[in-house]
Amino acid sequence: MGVTMVMIGGLTSILWSAELISDSKDQKPAKKTEKRLTGAELYAINCNRCHPERYPTEWNPGQWKTVMTHMRVRANLPAAQAKQILKYLQEDSGN
Amino acid sequence: MKIRSLIFGVVTIGCVTSLVLSLRASAAVSDEDFNALKNTVQQMGERIQGLEQTHQQDQQQIQQLKQQLGETQTIATNAAQKAEVAARVQPVHPVPPGSSATHNFTMVGDAEVQFGKVDGGHSAFVLADFAPIFLFRASDDALFEAGFDITLQNNTDQNGNRAAGSSTALNLSFAQLDYLLNDYVTIVAGDMLLPLGTYSERSAGWLNKIPDDPLVRDVLPGNGVGIQLRGSLPAGQSGQMITYSVYGVNGPSSSSTNGTANASDLDLGGNVGNTPNWHSNPGAGGRIGWFYPWKAHYDLELGISGQSGEWSDSGNRLWSAAVVDAALHLGPSFELKGEYMNTWVETDDVGTISPRGWWIQGAYKLSGLDLEFPVINNVELVGRYDTINNNLGAKTDRYTLGYVYYLSNTLLFEGDYEFLHGDGAHNDFVLQLSYGF
Repeated sequence: MGVTMVMIGGLTSILWSAELISDSKDQKPAKKTEKRLTGAELYAINCNRCHPERYPTEWNPGQWKTVMTHMRVRANLPAAQAKQILKYLQEDSGN
Repeated sequence: MKIRSLIFGVVTIGCVTSLVLSLRASAAVSDEDFNALKNTVQQMGERIQGLEQTHQQDQQQIQQLKQQLGETQTIATNAAQKAEVAARVQPVHPVPPGSSATHNFTMVGDAEVQFGKVDGGHSAFVLADFAPIFLFRASDDALFEAGFDITLQNNTDQNGNRAAGSSTALNLSFAQLDYLLNDYVTIVAGDMLLPLGTYSERSAGWLNKIPDDPLVRDVLPGNGVGIQLRGSLPAGQSGQMITYSVYGVNGPSSSSTNGTANASDLDLGGNVGNTPNWHSNPGAGGRIGWFYPWKAHYDLELGISGQSGEWSDSGNRLWSAAVVDAALHLGPSFELKGEYMNTWVETDDVGTISPRGWWIQGAYKLSGLDLEFPVINNVELVGRYDTINNNLGAKTDRYTLGYVYYLSNTLLFEGDYEFLHGDGAHNDFVLQLSYGF
C-alpha cells in the first residue's frame, strides 16, 4: 500500500512539474540566445553513441518519422532535438 | 461559310452564263474565248462538287458529336444522382489542411548467426536469434512497439536430456505503447524494457559488440509489465540533458507453489500474466541520467537507477536493486562503458543476500590510427571484464577479447575468446555474424 502511494505521488509530481515547466517557459523574460545545434550536429552527437550511424537514404520520410519516435523514447531524446534530427534525416531520405 | 461559297459559285456561274449569252447575242465569240469559258465552267463545277462532299462530311461529324454529347450528359446526370444518394447516407467531413499523421508500420530489428565452441565440447553453428521489432505509429504522438526473440534449439526431454528434433522458442522481449504527452513527458505502458542501467534498452544483439550479455545482468530483470513516465530536460543548447524514468511494475515474485520465499524461489521474470499480482503491491523504480557532450563524438553519460518492491506472496520480503552506469566517448574511435549493480534480496532461508557484480567494456576502432589499409579501417577491437557474485558462495570472473569487422554499417562480423574463472567455468570461442535492419 505504501509503495503504491509513493508511486502515485511520484507520478503526480512528475506530471505537475512538467506542466509548471511548460508554463514557466512561456513566462520567462527573453534571454540572450545561444547558438542552436543543427540537425546534422545533433545527429552526430546522439546517433552514434549506441549503434553505427544509419544513413538517411535507408528509409523514406514516413518511416523515419516512425523510427525517430521509437528512438526518441528509447534514447530519451528531448523533443526539440528529436524534431531537428528528424528534419535532417528526412531531407536526404530515400524513397 | 461553305454555303455562302456555294451560293457565290452558283451566282458566278449564272453571271458568266448571262454574259456569254449576251455576248453571243450582240457579237460573235471566238473558239478560243469559248474554250476558256468552258474550262472555267468545268472548274467551277468540280469545285462545287468538292464543296458539296465536304459539306456532307461536316454534317456527319456534327451528327456524331451531337450523339456523344447526349451520352456524356446522361453519364453526368447518373453520377450526380449517385452522389446525392451517398451524401444522404454519410456526412462528408472536410479533410484537415496539411499532411495528416497516417498509420505507419515499420519493422526493424536484428538477426544473429553464431559458430561457437565451448572448451571440452564440440563446435556448432547456431541460429542465435532473429529479433524483429514491429513499430506501429498510430498518430504523431502514439507509437506501439513490440520486440520478439525467435531462436532454434535442440530438443530435450522433461529431465533435460537430449531428445530428437528441434524446437523454436518464441519470446516476447517487450511490447509497449508509447504516448508523447508533451515535450517533456512520455507515457509508456505494457511489457517494458526496464531502465535499470542502460544495457537492457541499448543492447539489442547487433548493438552489443560482444555476442553475449555481461554475466551480472542475470541479477536484474530485463523487462517488466507496468507503466512508466520518461523524458528528457535539455540543459542549454549544447546537447546536454538530464533524462529521467520513473515506473511501476509487478516486479519479481516467488516461483514456489507453497508460499515460501527461499533464495532459490526468486523469479525475476515470472510476474507478468493475466492473473493477479503474485504479491499484493507492485514494485517501483526509476533512473536519473546526465548526458554531457562537449563536442560531437566526445561525451560522458552517468546514470543511477534502482527498483524496490515485494517479491514474496505474503508481501513480507523485499527485493531491491541499485545500478550505476557510465559511458564515455573520446572521438569517433574510442568508447568505454560499464555498469555496477547490487541487489538486496530478503529470503526466508538465508536472510538478506546481495547478488551483485559489474562489467566494464572498451572498444577502439582502428580507423582512428589513420592508416591507409581498408581492411584495418573496418576493424574495431573490443575487450570486456565482467564478474558476478551470487553471495551464496559462487563467483565467476570473465575476460573477453574480441573484434568487430564492419562489412557495412549494419552487417557485423564479430569474434571473441572468453576466459572464465570460477566454479564450473569454461573458456568459450564464438564467431558471430549479426545484421541490424
